[in-house]
Amino acid sequence: MKTKVRVKKDFYMSFFAILLGLLAGAVLMAVTGNNPFEGFFYLFRGGLMNIERIGNTLATATPLIFAGLSVAFAFKTGLFNIGGAGQMLIGGLCATAIGLTFDLPKPILLTMIVFGSLIGGALWASLPGLLKARFNVHEVVSTIMMNWIAYWVIYYIVPQYFKGPFLETESQRIPEAASLKVPWLTELFNGSYINLGIFLAIIFVVISSLILERTTLGYELKAVGYNRDAAEAAGINVNRNIVLSMAIAGALAGLGGATFYVGFASNMQIGVLPSQGFDGIAVALLGANSPWGVFAAAVFFGLLHTGKGFMNAMTAIPPEVADTIIATIIYFAATSVLIERNWDKIKKINFAALLNRGKKDSLKAGSGGEQ
Amino acid sequence: MKKWLGLFLVLALVFAVFGCSPDEPVVDENGEPAEDNGEPAEEAADLRVGMVTDAGTIDDKSFNQGTWEGIQLAASDFGLETRYLQPGGETTAEYITEIGNLVDAGFDLIICPGFKFEEALYEVQGRYPDTMFVIYDGYPHAGDWDPVVNDNVVSVFFAEHESGFLGGLAAALQLEEGEVGFIGGMEIPAVQKFNWGFQQGVLYANENYGTNIVMNADNFIYQGTFDNVAAGQQLAAAMFDKGVDAVFAAAGGVGVGSINEAKARAAEGEEVWIIGVDVDQYDDGIYEGNNSIILTSAMKNIDIVAYDMIEAALNNEFPGGQILTFSAENYGVGIPDNNPNLDAEVEAIVAEVYALIQDGTIVVSAEQGDLIQ
Amino acid sequence: MDYIVEMNNIRKEFPGIVACDDIDFQVKKGEIHALLGENGAGKSTLMNILFGLYQPDSGSIVLRGKKTNIANPNIANDLGIGMVHQHFKLVHNFTVTENIILGLEPTRALMVDTRSASSRIRELSKRYNLNVNPDAKIEDVSVGMQQRVEIIKMLYRDAEILIFDEPTAVLTPQEVQELTKIMHSLIDEGKTIILITHKLREIMSIADRCTVIRWGKVIGTVSVSETSEEKLAEMMVGRKVIFDLDKKEARPKEEILSLEKLTVNGKDGGHGLKSFSLGVKCGEIVGLAGVDGNGQSELIEAVIGLRKPDGGKILLHGEDISNLSIRERIEKGVAHIPEDRHKHGLVLDYTVQENFILKNYYQPPFSARGLLNWDTIYEHAERVIKDFDVRSGQGVEASARSLSGGNQQKAIVGREIDGNPDLLVAVQPTRGLDVGAIEYIHQRLLEQRDQGKAVLLISLELDEILDLSDRIAVIYNGELVGIVDADETDENEIGLMMAGGKRGAAV
Repeated sequence: MKTKVRVKKDFYMSFFAILLGLLAGAVLMAVTGNNPFEGFFYLFRGGLMNIERIGNTLATATPLIFAGLSVAFAFKTGLFNIGGAGQMLIGGLCATAIGLTFDLPKPILLTMIVFGSLIGGALWASLPGLLKARFNVHEVVSTIMMNWIAYWVIYYIVPQYFKGPFLETESQRIPEAASLKVPWLTELFNGSYINLGIFLAIIFVVISSLILERTTLGYELKAVGYNRDAAEAAGINVNRNIVLSMAIAGALAGLGGATFYVGFASNMQIGVLPSQGFDGIAVALLGANSPWGVFAAAVFFGLLHTGKGFMNAMTAIPPEVADTIIATIIYFAATSVLIERNWDKIKKINFAALLNRGKKDSLKAGSGGEQ
Repeated sequence: MKKWLGLFLVLALVFAVFGCSPDEPVVDENGEPAEDNGEPAEEAADLRVGMVTDAGTIDDKSFNQGTWEGIQLAASDFGLETRYLQPGGETTAEYITEIGNLVDAGFDLIICPGFKFEEALYEVQGRYPDTMFVIYDGYPHAGDWDPVVNDNVVSVFFAEHESGFLGGLAAALQLEEGEVGFIGGMEIPAVQKFNWGFQQGVLYANENYGTNIVMNADNFIYQGTFDNVAAGQQLAAAMFDKGVDAVFAAAGGVGVGSINEAKARAAEGEEVWIIGVDVDQYDDGIYEGNNSIILTSAMKNIDIVAYDMIEAALNNEFPGGQILTFSAENYGVGIPDNNPNLDAEVEAIVAEVYALIQDGTIVVSAEQGDLIQ
Repeated sequence: MDYIVEMNNIRKEFPGIVACDDIDFQVKKGEIHALLGENGAGKSTLMNILFGLYQPDSGSIVLRGKKTNIANPNIANDLGIGMVHQHFKLVHNFTVTENIILGLEPTRALMVDTRSASSRIRELSKRYNLNVNPDAKIEDVSVGMQQRVEIIKMLYRDAEILIFDEPTAVLTPQEVQELTKIMHSLIDEGKTIILITHKLREIMSIADRCTVIRWGKVIGTVSVSETSEEKLAEMMVGRKVIFDLDKKEARPKEEILSLEKLTVNGKDGGHGLKSFSLGVKCGEIVGLAGVDGNGQSELIEAVIGLRKPDGGKILLHGEDISNLSIRERIEKGVAHIPEDRHKHGLVLDYTVQENFILKNYYQPPFSARGLLNWDTIYEHAERVIKDFDVRSGQGVEASARSLSGGNQQKAIVGREIDGNPDLLVAVQPTRGLDVGAIEYIHQRLLEQRDQGKAVLLISLELDEILDLSDRIAVIYNGELVGIVDADETDENEIGLMMAGGKRGAAV
């Protein structure tokens, strides 16, 4: 409704960015001596060719949706949350710990896991928020450092308290009751590892969208993000909003961690920062920071990630080149900012050739009086 | 909201195109591998070999690379089509995806170099009963470490402790006097066994061949990852500064960092050594002309095993359902045939001891016992 | 004829608006040529075209008799065109020198040679009497000084045609006089000046010729010596303009705001506020006059609640509010029209309707239980833009950014007054606005007074203070110089007090 124009423009920009990314990927394939049409055919086929793969695409997209939402939410408040990876780890740790500690019926356990990971992520991320609010420590620096703190916390806690019987490097496998995977869904998608996380993700897309568009909280957060000084002068407590925004961003990433570690996977490995935390930045950029945009962007990235291997297997494109192609697509897709900057030129490119001729004619005819 | 609906329509359309195209080349409706038709493998033997990389890249100078080299050798000997895939992460789900990709693309034998594939293999061995799988350093299980090895899976273990023993022995004999250290990746059984074997080898040399090699607990360290090159460099630098002469680096990418540090020092005239791991790392340690800082390497003959498995599959002798252990007894571990940095008499002694291990005279323990860490 | 700039048939359209409608515009060499028009008339667009920031849809530019294509500001620079924008383009944590050489840094042995640059700046500064310290940081110097930095920036690039976009909008009367002098010395050195403005008096005192633009069309070009303020105003607005405000007798009542020995430490070496006492009564407008940077911002921030005072008290209705939060003060009836509408007044990326609820979004009827009530917000906004004559292309759903400066300001005034405050702190409420908007806002402020509300007016425009205020307080160096009745004083006296001269009788 009230932001119709903007959304439309964002949509075209993202769409254009994706096209540009695919084009760049095509060039890369061609340069490395592969057929781009074949490559893309198998890339998309790999993500979509049967119900199982669609399930896998959605499952791959699930943590990305949360990570993207997390980044987008913080962006709205003018904060750059690069700590998605660490927040995912903490959320995942909370989920895993709850799953391994309590022996309860699945609905209760899953509820606890959802809230546990949400709270864990929120607390973890509110720390950089507090540092920013109180001491003006830049959140980019502190969230990156928090990533590594999370990394080493996992490194210590998992082997110390949740280690499996043999391996030092991963947690015990979580019990069935603690997994977001449910048989009916797995069967529905023909053995895919899709899990309840996708529904959680959709729910939180809706919630995020509602918070941002419909609530006074969202109004405050965005006001702080767009213009901190004006918000402060209008009586909005800027510091409280910074902490709150980071906490919400962290809660979303924490949930993403839960969907990743007790949904997508079944245990936690030490020594790995989940790449989704960083991909979330690209997802948010491509999704123009709007919750539904993030959803669509994450599904697109999920598609690329899922389809990539099939493209590899079916063509002679080696994985490194395939990764580069994906990265190129993501890079271009995420640089919608560049496209925005040149938006006017782009529009000219599209219309200039068509319109200019007619315009010149009309000018010659002497009709200049349009208002 | 309408435009997102539009996007989904577009996606649906894309699906319609990519998902249900009638002239699909290799895969039938159910995603089952169809018969090989049309792929450029006409002259090739009727076996397509795939590999999924473990953590790290294909050129990790370790497991991935060794396995791939074995596959490549077999490919050129037998004329096979090969391919490797690199998963997006290190979760079971991602491993399953890539294995599924290879199966869907019609690959018949898939080698998975690493214990992280255990649960993935448990899932796929039933799902793709017509595909053959090889896993290194692990066996399929459902997350409970209860082995379930189907008829289409071979599980391969190596006696790392024996390999480490031989590396430690060779290093001690060559140095005669000095100090050695150890840099491990993650503290996982395979790396631990390398470490313990290495210490036993050094002690064996001290006791039986009069060498005087010191081992200090401070210099036996697990870095914690297999990919932190910088940390490997720093750890090695610290050890060399403390007077360590040779470091056994069983640490993937971390070891690469250690090798780099040793190369830099060697280029400036310092005498430092690295004992390589998994594969013959001599070439990686070359810093000048033909000089390398790799004293020797404690090898697991992963390439040979890969080659053997492919050959067996071609001859319909694939040892499916078995858990195999490769040790000195069946030449599955050892130091390289050619060690330019070892004296001939050292190599001769190592060969003697190798025989003693083979006939059981010497038993290398796979447990920590009184050893460091 | 000897024109240095000729712009022929310039046309520029933006979505939904024709900014320049086949404009013809000629400037003679060595003259000060004023470009007059209301906000949004197309003056700035035309000059941005000349400066290469925009490309015209059609038409041609002839410079020194040669047809040229100015694709970007770099080319404009090379052609000797310089521009001082209304919003200065300076890097705040850079020094004057660094700002001036930005983009064409002289190098010696790969190092930026700031020394030779700053000596050249000193020389230019001396030659044109600009009094600029090349080593000062921009964030530490006054607005007037920043403008002079912008002028030197042009001179440093050897500009011959100097475009000034509303240069006096931010200056004190004295500074305006200074600027006039500077402009004349520039002309004496053979430069040509194009002056964008909507201030008639300035044109009459500075310019040689004047071109008036309305709705993107040229109304005419006149010689200043042959015209009058009234005539120009009529050309600009399209109707007769009443200059005198309809100002009734003030009926002050009880004191609502009392500052008692208020002390606020200055930041970054500013003067701060030193034991400042002032009372504002209901039903009166108290004007605070003073040269920029003499403690006004500290005073405002302390009253609004952006800063805690370091001493003294702020009483509202007799209650000490020094330690209340901004929001608590707003709820107690303090409204604020900020000096910098972009920084403190509006959330530019919010729509007009969203900006209207910036201070009370959390209260009914705009929200209930944390949920915003968009229908009410919409209706409210519709009413306010009607009441306060805020014009926007897409109504209340337009982003605040898309509004012209005058309409942005009207939106802020509308929001603040619509909240029915007891005390309105109006800071430079008509800065950079055109005659029509100024007239309107002034009426609104008087209306507040007449309704028995208190208005504290802080302005650098002495005319505005003199026209509106009932009493005038003058601040200098963070201290109160004196308070005078508006009826009993004039520009000269206030000007002297602004420079620190105590008024013998009235302290």
